[in-house]
Amino acid sequence: MDQPQTHGDVALPAIVLTGEIDLAVAPVLEARLERLRSEGATTIVVDLLRATFLDSIALGVLVDVLGQCREAGGDLYLVVDEPRILKVLEITGLSDIFALYPSYEILDRNVEEVPLP
Amino acid sequence: MIETFAKTEKDEVIELSFPAQGDLITLARFTAATVAARAGFDVEEIEDLRLAVDELCVSFGPLTGDRLLRIEFRRLDEVVSVECVLHPPVAGSPGSVTGPRGDGGSTGLELSEQLLDALVDAHGREAAGGMQCAWLRKRRGSAQR
Repeated sequence: MDQPQTHGDVALPAIVLTGEIDLAVAPVLEARLERLRSEGATTIVVDLLRATFLDSIALGVLVDVLGQCREAGGDLYLVVDEPRILKVLEITGLSDIFALYPSYEILDRNVEEVPLP
Repeated sequence: MIETFAKTEKDEVIELSFPAQGDLITLARFTAATVAARAGFDVEEIEDLRLAVDELCVSFGPLTGDRLLRIEFRRLDEVVSVECVLHPPVAGSPGSVTGPRGDGGSTGLELSEQLLDALVDAHGREAAGGMQCAWLRKRRGSAQR
């Protein structure tokens, strides 16, 4: 699920999520994000480009970790272009809270280089 | 277990029951999509109902496999009603908990309520005799765009 990745000039730890991200996946997602945080990551990319479904419980995990990242001076970026997931973010008002990018290219253009922990 | 039967000529009921484990909720989503399609919902409405039924299931909080989740899908013309009942734990069979350990779980429950408000025409919940019940109703043509 997770592969720290480098994208263009931006070096950020990333978690890639595939398929339906629901209650069954949420604990795994939480553990992987906690591990990155414990390794010192303050800014994390969550790649949802291949995710097809996101429910409130998985979203709650992302919100929780977003708060931790911002408290530490970092951020949690979502790379997402799936309309169904964007709809969930809009309904919950989180599309205004998360930094959303429809592709890595746009993320690269908008994010200053961040050193890997 | 899945049972399908018609209560009346126009009223179709599908019952689904399974241990309350996170990895089985996909069964509820699959059934929701099937029932929505049979009610003539469009693609967006089918996706809305699929997500809403998932939200009903997770709205009980962390699930344990020692409890039974019974879901009744009822289709009457262009209206789909779903009732989800979480039964009390079976004595002597402790189940493993499915759900995040941190604050994400409680945040998720608040988000779940927002999603249900937006996705369906009506929803609610009640508890009695150790059982918890959550229900929703959605009419064709009411998709949140």
